[in-house]
Amino acid sequence: MQAENIIEMLHITKEFPGIVANDDITLQLRRGEIHALLGENGAGKSTLMSVLFGLYQPEKGEIRKNGQVVKINDPNDATALGIGMVHQHFKLIDVFTVLDNIILGAETTKLGFLQKKEARKKVQALSERYGLKVDLDAKVEDITVGMQQRVEILKMLYRDNEILIFDEPTAVLTPQEIDELMDIMREFAKEGKSILFISHKLNEIMAVSDRVTVLRKGKYIGTVDTKDTDKQALSNMMVGRPVQLEVVKDPAKPGDVVLQVEDLTVPSHLHKRNAVNHVSFEARAGEILCIAGIDGNGQSELIYGLTGLEKASHGKVTLCGKDISHASIRRRGENMSHIPEDRHKHGLVLDFTLEQNLVLQKYREPRFQHNGFIDRGAVRQYAQQLIEQYDVRSGQGPVTIARSMSGGNQQKAIIAREVDRDLPLIVAVQPTRGLDVGAIEYIHSQLVAERDKGKAVLLVSLELDEVMSLSDRILVMYEGEIVGELDPKATTVQELGLYMAGAKRMGKEAERA
Amino acid sequence: MKQRGPNLLEREGTRSVLASMISIIIGMLVGSILILIMGLSNSSLGLSSAWDGIRLVFGGLFSTGRSASGALTWGFNSTSIGNMLFRATPLIMTGLSVAVAFKTGLFNIGAPGQYLMGTAASLIIALGIPSETVPAGLIWLLAFLGGALAGAIWGAIPGMLKAFLNINEVLACIMTNWIAANLVTWVFDGSNYRNLVENTKSAYIYKTAYNNVATPKLGLDAIFPNSQVNGGIIIAVVLAVLVYILMTKTTLGYELKACGSNRHAARYAGINDKRNIVLSMAIAGALSGIAASLYYLSGNTEFFWATYQSLPATGFNGIPVALLAVNHPIGVIFTGCFMSMLDIVGLQLTNLTAYNEYITDVIISVIVYLSAFSLVIKMMLTKRGKKGKTPTRTAGDAPAQTAEKGGESA
Amino acid sequence: MTFLIQQTLIYAIPLMIVALAGVYAERSGIINLALEGIMIFGAFVGVLFVNLTQQAGTFDAAKAAGDWVALQGFELLAMLVAAIMGAIFSLLLSFASVNLKADQTIGGTALNLMAPALVLFLIRIIANQNTLQMYTGDAASWFMIKKSLFGYGRNDEMGFLGSTFIDKVYLATYVCILLFVILSIILYKTRFGLRLRSCGENPQAADSLGINVYKMRYIGTTISGALAGMGGFVYALTTANCASTGDVAGFGFLALAVMIFGNWKPLNIAGASLLFGLFKCVAAAYSSIDINGDGVFLLAQIGISPHFYRMLPYLITLIVLAFTSKKSRAPKAEGIPYDKGQR
Repeated sequence: MQAENIIEMLHITKEFPGIVANDDITLQLRRGEIHALLGENGAGKSTLMSVLFGLYQPEKGEIRKNGQVVKINDPNDATALGIGMVHQHFKLIDVFTVLDNIILGAETTKLGFLQKKEARKKVQALSERYGLKVDLDAKVEDITVGMQQRVEILKMLYRDNEILIFDEPTAVLTPQEIDELMDIMREFAKEGKSILFISHKLNEIMAVSDRVTVLRKGKYIGTVDTKDTDKQALSNMMVGRPVQLEVVKDPAKPGDVVLQVEDLTVPSHLHKRNAVNHVSFEARAGEILCIAGIDGNGQSELIYGLTGLEKASHGKVTLCGKDISHASIRRRGENMSHIPEDRHKHGLVLDFTLEQNLVLQKYREPRFQHNGFIDRGAVRQYAQQLIEQYDVRSGQGPVTIARSMSGGNQQKAIIAREVDRDLPLIVAVQPTRGLDVGAIEYIHSQLVAERDKGKAVLLVSLELDEVMSLSDRILVMYEGEIVGELDPKATTVQELGLYMAGAKRMGKEAERA
Repeated sequence: MKQRGPNLLEREGTRSVLASMISIIIGMLVGSILILIMGLSNSSLGLSSAWDGIRLVFGGLFSTGRSASGALTWGFNSTSIGNMLFRATPLIMTGLSVAVAFKTGLFNIGAPGQYLMGTAASLIIALGIPSETVPAGLIWLLAFLGGALAGAIWGAIPGMLKAFLNINEVLACIMTNWIAANLVTWVFDGSNYRNLVENTKSAYIYKTAYNNVATPKLGLDAIFPNSQVNGGIIIAVVLAVLVYILMTKTTLGYELKACGSNRHAARYAGINDKRNIVLSMAIAGALSGIAASLYYLSGNTEFFWATYQSLPATGFNGIPVALLAVNHPIGVIFTGCFMSMLDIVGLQLTNLTAYNEYITDVIISVIVYLSAFSLVIKMMLTKRGKKGKTPTRTAGDAPAQTAEKGGESA
Repeated sequence: MTFLIQQTLIYAIPLMIVALAGVYAERSGIINLALEGIMIFGAFVGVLFVNLTQQAGTFDAAKAAGDWVALQGFELLAMLVAAIMGAIFSLLLSFASVNLKADQTIGGTALNLMAPALVLFLIRIIANQNTLQMYTGDAASWFMIKKSLFGYGRNDEMGFLGSTFIDKVYLATYVCILLFVILSIILYKTRFGLRLRSCGENPQAADSLGINVYKMRYIGTTISGALAGMGGFVYALTTANCASTGDVAGFGFLALAVMIFGNWKPLNIAGASLLFGLFKCVAAAYSSIDINGDGVFLLAQIGISPHFYRMLPYLITLIVLAFTSKKSRAPKAEGIPYDKGQR
């Protein structure tokens, strides 16, 4: 008689210096079920899964498989127990072929030499059986994100895993691809594989899971049957208070054109095609214009081209009536503030103090320097003012090293710095990525407030919910081009998804779909 | 802009000094052990000579030679201390050179080449302008500036290669070093600067005193009689303070450090990262060039011009000087003196024992090796409680929380 | 022409093998800036081994009897010793980079400072001068393969191929070529090679697949150290008459440049080394190069300063790097310490 639970994680406690990431958490996975693990960013989901996958060792608690206590010291042990994982950030080697990536770590060899023929056959069989189409000889860097995910799934299947962990698998997919993935997951479950599905998206959890376990701030909140609950109840469990799921805002009152982009083209570093291909649009004062699309369709490069971080090879950009197509980053910054996509790469100098970061563009202004010597007093005063005004929390106020601040407060510091520059255009790229609900609400309200003050806000977002609720107008990018302009009030997530997947495009090429 | 809480500064500073002390002691111990092994394994050396050697490693600065009975004697040695200050002068400068580049995130291993170019320019000016027609003081100044300029140009080359073509500055510096070594030999080979008067010596350039050009002593020779010390050490100390002010109080320093800590963020903020990389390397090069000027303009130092097969150790030793000082310009003054003390130790070892000066190079290399991870160890201490605060882990749920806690505890 | 090819090979082969040493380290994720230092150390150890073995008289009988096979064995033994000690010396770098997560550039620089210091310190005590030479005889008489060994007389012609590749060559050259081929195949065709390369590209991914990144990086760097140590001795043997001076004149750094120029790929590296070998050969022997065999020493007669030729390899390296840097693609994770706790 087999135990009902294939995997049990009992009373798991995992501490990092200064923080309990998992505090007495219990998770029981039944054979053949799809079990969702729900929690906000920072709730401890990934840590728990890393414990199960052998990447971390818990301080307390035990893991059982089929009722037997097991010790999982490293990913090899996990694989031996039949546990496989699709990581949120794919664990793929970009310059290797798809096949090499699948076999890596589980190679068939003769005298140490790779025997790829058998492996190829096995992968092809699996790929056909589940409809996971991949090009085995393509390099990973050349294939789409969707295909990369299929490679990750094939990696698990190649190792004959029976317990499959999906860590936030839908973040990089179109709505249609998400549906396909859910079908595949159901298929796996039907065959008796057991699935752990990590997400913070309630719609998906309601659609695919059998049961849900909720974590909040490292603590176990509870496990419920999906059919006995609803979105609002799950949301309350996840956040601990009722959540405003919609952004409150008045209708936009678009004014003059602030930013005019004509025929902009930005070359790509990865391939020969252009990352941004002859894109034209305009952004007006008093509106939030959102660039939607699946990650990697040229949104980042479009912003690089606008802000000057990268050189455009063609086209014209006009900001507040001035041609800035060839202007330096600093000159563009005279009328444009920029909340960058990657706060660690671009947004902050992590080894600088908070106050030094808050004057990253302003240190040259006469009020902060005299004859090249920085006026520390003025900087301190200004920093303190911003910290208070925008409620940026840190250990030592202005002199806190940025690296030591939490992600949410780092982002708040950037928002404070950029919004306070008080410029006609605000470019915000994924401003809420990786933040918890409180911080997300705060940032959304800031952006709406700036819009209402008559600023043009150019928002790039990958989160469909954010796109739909925050924007006044949506442009969809696909393979470096703008393929659709939509009104969020008049469109649906499904339609948006078709544009994002390139299945539909506006204008005369619409028939191609 | 450097506004840290006093107790953090204290802790940070203490930790740095402590780590450097540990590196120094381990380095000297390794040197001693090497001497001991050689002494014991070599019948002609023996234990007592090893003991002499080890004592000299630690106290060579205060050695006054051997007594009639052959025992080592100790005491205040004005020659040694004066010479230590004299030799510290170029080391402080190359140390500053490496430190400035480090602050901008660049590893200036090109100091030897910049030093050589500075040497060549200084000597050509100092010996080339006749002191009969131009005041010697003016020649000195011109030679000094010429050395700085030559070094700056030589430093800017790898800087430009790094900034515009993204060539690893370490590799570019190594190549420019060897190019400089050959170039300098080429320039002096067959020139009129070769010292033909003292024909016992081959391949040396005239001392600048030959043209009546020499760094003023500023009374230091009265304090340390029978030594080479001169006003150069004071110039070096002043320059160290100026570099400190530049890096911590000015907008330029702010920009350089921003580029060094995070080139992408600096660029994002509109700072011209390429210009700053070139500028930083040019400043570093100028400092190395000045190192050479101060050394060779002293009046009685000679330059071996057939240098195409070797690079000046003074250049390379700027690296340990900067590392030991944790790239702090004021700290460089002290670590520069320490390094030159090792030099004196090497001399004493060669003069008084059967061992040779290369043991001090071994000690220096051990110190560099240790400082490669003393930085890391210190970082680990500083970051305790903030583990996982790296981009790779933002994937996980834990970091945000971890960081939050870290922020509060720090 | 024969002279030119032989001289080029003499420089190209150590360059090639040491560049491959760089590849093994960097493909595993460790920047081995210490190639220069390891070469110096390997050269010293090899020469010391030859010197001490000669002192002990182990191969005197073989030498006297003209038993050249035994002498070639002696040469191989010295190469092996240099390789082993090079590998051991490189452990200092692996330990600092892998276990202590040190800055690999500084760690490598430390080794580059340490090797000549240590070597000169020891040479001074052993030889009482700044050069350690063979105890007796010279490299040519002990180790060089000559046509006389195959029964050819002093005036017999061996033909172009024979006189270029068999007469007056060192076995070490061919051993290096063989090793280069074998190690290149291992890098691309075996499980070990695949795993090693994965650690230099994406150690987090490798770790998640159960590959021990630390171990792989140790192995990569150790192979690197062995090759560089051996390359150092081969360099000393073939270009410096089997003498050690605590210096290889930036050869290790040239190898790094060759590696970058060759885009971390063995085949390209082989080509690049030949090119650089040619420049190095011109620099070292420009005055005795008789290109078309008509007794005219063209390069010497142009009247360009010898210093220019000596400078040439370094200058060319810079220029070549300037032109190829945009296209070059280093292993993504090289130089970044891997921390298991931060995956």
